[in-house]
Amino acid sequence: MRRLSVLIAILTTLALASGAGAQEKPRSGGILNWYVYGDPGRLDIHLESPLSVQQALAGIYSGLLHRDPDDPSKIIGDLAERWTVSGDGKVYTFHLRKGVKWHDGQPFTSADVKATFDRVLSPTVKSPRCGSMLKPVVASAEAVDPHTFQVALKFPAAPFLEYTASAWCRIAAKHVLDKYGDLSKPEAQIGTGPFKFKRYERGSVIEWEKNKDYFLPGLPYLDGVKQYVLVGFPTQLAAAKAGRVMLWDTWPPMKKTDADELRRARGDAVDISQNSINTIFLAFMHTQKPPFDNPDMRRAVHLALDRQEIVAKALEGAGIPCAVLDPKLSGPYALPLEEVNKLPGCRQPKDQDIAEAKRLVEKHYPNGVDVEAAVRSVGNYVDRAQLILSQLRKVGIRGTIKTYESAAGFAVFGKGDFVFLPTQDRAMVTVDPGDLFSLVYTTDAGSNWGKWTDTKADELTAQGLREANPEKRKQIYWELQRHLLSGAPSAIPVAWVEGYHFVDRKVRGYRFAPTVYDNNTFMKVWLAP
Amino acid sequence: MAGSIPVSGMPDVAERAGVAVGVAGAPATARSWGPLGHVGWFVAHQPLGAAGALIVTVLIVAAVFAPALAPHGPKDAAFAPYLPPSSEFLMGTDHLGRDMLSRVVWGARLSLYVGLSAVLLGISLGALWGIVTAYFGGVTDSSSQRVVDSLMALPPIVLALALMAALGQSVTNVIIALSVLLIPTAARTMRSVALSIKEMPYVESARAAGAAEWRIIFRHVVPNTLATYIVMFTVNIAYAIVVEASLSFLGLGAPPDEPSWGSMLTAGTQALETAPWMVFFPGLAISLTVFGLNLLGDSIRDLTDPRLRGGLG
Repeated sequence: MRRLSVLIAILTTLALASGAGAQEKPRSGGILNWYVYGDPGRLDIHLESPLSVQQALAGIYSGLLHRDPDDPSKIIGDLAERWTVSGDGKVYTFHLRKGVKWHDGQPFTSADVKATFDRVLSPTVKSPRCGSMLKPVVASAEAVDPHTFQVALKFPAAPFLEYTASAWCRIAAKHVLDKYGDLSKPEAQIGTGPFKFKRYERGSVIEWEKNKDYFLPGLPYLDGVKQYVLVGFPTQLAAAKAGRVMLWDTWPPMKKTDADELRRARGDAVDISQNSINTIFLAFMHTQKPPFDNPDMRRAVHLALDRQEIVAKALEGAGIPCAVLDPKLSGPYALPLEEVNKLPGCRQPKDQDIAEAKRLVEKHYPNGVDVEAAVRSVGNYVDRAQLILSQLRKVGIRGTIKTYESAAGFAVFGKGDFVFLPTQDRAMVTVDPGDLFSLVYTTDAGSNWGKWTDTKADELTAQGLREANPEKRKQIYWELQRHLLSGAPSAIPVAWVEGYHFVDRKVRGYRFAPTVYDNNTFMKVWLAP
Repeated sequence: MAGSIPVSGMPDVAERAGVAVGVAGAPATARSWGPLGHVGWFVAHQPLGAAGALIVTVLIVAAVFAPALAPHGPKDAAFAPYLPPSSEFLMGTDHLGRDMLSRVVWGARLSLYVGLSAVLLGISLGALWGIVTAYFGGVTDSSSQRVVDSLMALPPIVLALALMAALGQSVTNVIIALSVLLIPTAARTMRSVALSIKEMPYVESARAAGAAEWRIIFRHVVPNTLATYIVMFTVNIAYAIVVEASLSFLGLGAPPDEPSWGSMLTAGTQALETAPWMVFFPGLAISLTVFGLNLLGDSIRDLTDPRLRGGLG
């Protein structure tokens, strides 16, 4: 009996202790160190699309809505205290917080929200993330009064709140836009977010400092965030192993061997986890330039690529080969993998598809064809490109690699100044299954770099966006996925990317978000001693 | 330019200049060494140089016969990644499943091609520059030397990186960048040789006989700088190979899919703990090549230096 009492006492003490641990009181102070995979270059959050730009600015701005830092699966108000939806689902009214100030002391009002929406919705402004999501669904946006903002939709669009909460649709100050014309320069980074933009040394470091006038009292906990520009993966891994960076939660994820190496070096000091990063690995071909202006040649590439080998070697198995939508992320909207893996180009063994690809290439280029493969020197893109070119050589497409610095590459791709991009990841902005199609496959898509126009893809994407019935929506997206896998689009799906991330155990209050762009404001993150 | 040098009559000119070319004193002695002649003499008198020559010969054979010697295509990612060295893959496979032996063998071809081309272009242009300005002297010489000073003031690898960033990544551009690095050194060295040659009696005789300036330069001065040219050529191939590997290591050399020893090293650093053979074999190839070329270069320098040549008897 006495032993039992002692045991109960011990268990009670442990339970209390663990409970106390779970409710640790956040500590203020300290600098969070992490890194960005490439130099962001131009800093305009509305006009740029690289993750490096988003990372550089995540804590500076606020949105109307955002993902809950405590539970990123939920969307909550940010600058909007609350919102209402009309009965027909077409009018959203946002009630804005009062007393919010921009980092330069100017008051925040609905005029700023209006200026932001006007900017990203303007037909003359190319906004590859926020604009490309909102333009197809928003009919008009108006400031009702200084603290009320209203958006009318063209149709009841289910993902509208997701779009509005996106980290790419942050609200910019009207007076800053008026003054600078755009947001590309460091001095134009004036937001309402938990941190102020302190310093940007090109190719070296980006620093934020605590916004003491942040509208949520007591936040942020950190004094600042320092983001090092670490381009090469060996440098990133070395910094992680040495404990010089405390967190990695975005792109490129680590491969398993790298995660194992980090685990050996840091032991229990870091938490390492495998995650889906809502990112697809694509190969782009320019549909208006030879040889890929010919659909047969694009089809040949689709048939020749051995996605299973690419995932095994370039991603060390952490990926879903050939899928247009990832079943883990899009659930029933993703075409079942059993069907995907039986389709030409995706099936194993590859002999039949390679023979057909070879026939298609020989039909138009009996002696094979040489192409220049443009590759950004980030992540393991160069390795992936070599692997892909090795596979294409078997069917007579001979590639030579031309590398670009990260921001320079995006500039070239955006202008369509390429023939072939053997590898380029596109991270989804939301968890909506229609996101990929709006981002890559429609004529007006922000990442339709290969200038592909396909009426059926445009129509099905629009139908999917308008359809509220989940079952009907699923059928639309299945048809669209079959269409892409059986046709010759500009962007060929190679795989959905997964990988490993780490968080130093001193870092508290951090939660992984469903997209790589979200929850990097670090507003509730704090550092344990 | 160097290829157009009229070599007929060169030995007597060279002997008169006192900078006899190659193993000028060797043939008579070599005859007593039997059928191997020069080779046997060279091995006996320059064992380190012979070792260097052997390494360089292996390099040349690997480069020339790479398609026949390499068991697989250097770009064929057809095998399992990170396979350690075995009887099937003597140097293992890399992170993409490519045969390392095949890549190292093909890497020899790229290194030799880049090394030889860059040195031929750079040293020849530099030599011509140095000789011509030395011969004419005056303002031409002094102003051109200031240009050489400026080029030499820039750290070589920084200059090479800047050139590659400006020109873009290609094998041809690597050759151009390396040539630019080599020109000032070659110009300065050859100028000093040409300055002494232009004061030689036979040059004065030619001038007195009414020979044109350019005829004197190409007929009498250039051939007599050949010994120095050969030494510079040999020694700088190793330098060019190392710089090419460095540029590729830094990601600004040959395009990444070309089997360059430098880019193989870069890939290897990402798997140092998993697959050390990815660094070891290309590193060994670079080291051996540079070692061999330096030994051979030193040996040629010794043989062409009249002071050392006497000692070798």
